[in-house]
Amino acid sequence: MNLGSKFSAPIIEKSVYGCLTRVVFGVDQAYLAEPGQFLHVLCGSEDGRILRRPYSLFDTASGTASILVKEAGPGSAWLARREVGEEIDCMGPLGRPFSFSIFDRPALIAGGAGIAPLIFLYKNMCSEGMEPSLFWGIERSGDYGDMPESILAEFQVRIASEDGRVGFKGTALELFTSQQPEDFSAIYACGPRGMLIELTEIMIGDRRARLQLSFEERMACGVGACKGCVVPASDPAGSYLTVCKDGPVFEGKELDWARLKSRVWQ
Amino acid sequence: MGTPQEPRLAVEISGINLRNPLLVSSGTFGNGREYSEWLDLGMVGGIITKAVTLLPCNGNPPPRLWEVPCGLLNSIGLENKGVEAFLAEDLAWLNRFDVPVWVNVAGFSDEEYVAVAGMISDSGMADAIELNISCPNVKQGGLHYSSSPREAARLTAMVQKAVNLPLYVKLSARTADIKEMAVEVQKAGADGLSLINTFPAMAIDVETGRARLANVSGGLSGPALHPIAVLAVWEVAQVVDIPIIGMGGVWSWKDAAELMMAGADAVAVGTLNFVDPEAAFRIAEDLGSFAARKGFESVSELVGLTRRGGIV
Repeated sequence: MNLGSKFSAPIIEKSVYGCLTRVVFGVDQAYLAEPGQFLHVLCGSEDGRILRRPYSLFDTASGTASILVKEAGPGSAWLARREVGEEIDCMGPLGRPFSFSIFDRPALIAGGAGIAPLIFLYKNMCSEGMEPSLFWGIERSGDYGDMPESILAEFQVRIASEDGRVGFKGTALELFTSQQPEDFSAIYACGPRGMLIELTEIMIGDRRARLQLSFEERMACGVGACKGCVVPASDPAGSYLTVCKDGPVFEGKELDWARLKSRVWQ
Repeated sequence: MGTPQEPRLAVEISGINLRNPLLVSSGTFGNGREYSEWLDLGMVGGIITKAVTLLPCNGNPPPRLWEVPCGLLNSIGLENKGVEAFLAEDLAWLNRFDVPVWVNVAGFSDEEYVAVAGMISDSGMADAIELNISCPNVKQGGLHYSSSPREAARLTAMVQKAVNLPLYVKLSARTADIKEMAVEVQKAGADGLSLINTFPAMAIDVETGRARLANVSGGLSGPALHPIAVLAVWEVAQVVDIPIIGMGGVWSWKDAAELMMAGADAVAVGTLNFVDPEAAFRIAEDLGSFAARKGFESVSELVGLTRRGGIV
């Protein structure tokens, strides 16, 4: 895994897809990151927000690293409005990435903005000669601008929209379960907490061992020091794991799903 | 004393030599290990470790964080792996660095505080103890000690008997009279004071009507706390003669200078560590430049300057 660093990076490209803004940073040519890792970005704001905000890496290519920003509050709104040429203070890449074996038959399931790390993972799997299946669920066809169309043009992705105007009518999970989920030997997911919980109800018992799930949680330090961004762990009982350092990618069996279900945050 | 830094920055408190007066405060720097990839730990003035309790402690359920304008609410709830694992895994590891270590000790009873502080002292691996009697996030975690000067003094005296190290007591500004608290704790044998802990606070999600934190309330840190810390240091410095480590929302060298002018002998950086792991070192350098610009031989000349009538 790559050790992160703190750096200032210029925005070299920016594109808006409905509620998402893709921000491309210019980074060192040697910059390396893995799918599932995140950048901890210092956002300004007009009302004195002080902490960094974590964004899953959407892709890295030679000399660039990009993220998808969804406006959720003053910090992300500030970041989405930055212009090409502005310098942004970043830490990363941080966190535990997805892991995969080239012998797997993987399904990748994304809900909404959870598409970011899974596109990155999908591309890495393809470059290893694998044939992953990617399912992306969106609420309404217009929410993400022309991203669904441009992703469809580039990747073997199946899209589900709740209004049925693009692809399958329904959720990403309904689409996934309609596609012989038994056939997949490894399942990777990122999306709303409710979607991840629902997925564990489909993948019960031993099948949870096949799950790798990327979690979101409000974060402070991003490096495992403050213990702020925790999720309930299965072992030892009652304990917690940090999303920033132990995660953000967890195997299904590492987490205590009964406690996770007891309060759905999002 | 770690990497050389200008002599102007060196300070001494309770017989401990710090290469600069900027420590990192408890709970904001893990036990050093988490930040060792980000900076040379020998570059900070001192490390105050995350609170340690007798037995492993899972901490509070999430959500544990909520950010507010100019501040952060947290209700971590003393998550730690217990004193035995702390000594064997963390403190032993931290000892390889040339940096003074204050170990923050918390407990759920008198006996626990005494036992943990005694074990830390006996280990020979710490430079000082910081007694956490003001954690706002656990029901028996100490805040009741810090609301009663008599209780705080009683615990301080008990722990003092069990240790062979400078004993600092960390106080909260949420008390009827922090001066009385400080005086009583000094009389009971405290060797120094850490001022101040986070301030109890709360936020509500108006869309759902529910508290933002699972624990309902949490401790407020960050710039919003800073002026409260300055006043607490100012008031306490006038009634005690033991060293004070000032802390609370330090975001720049000016905040550090303010706390020192109010009467703090050293300063700790807290929440800012989450944003910039090198903050303590950077602020120390900036403070050195300021002291040089003002013609001070030592940053210690800033201590209590406001009381002495300011810079003449």
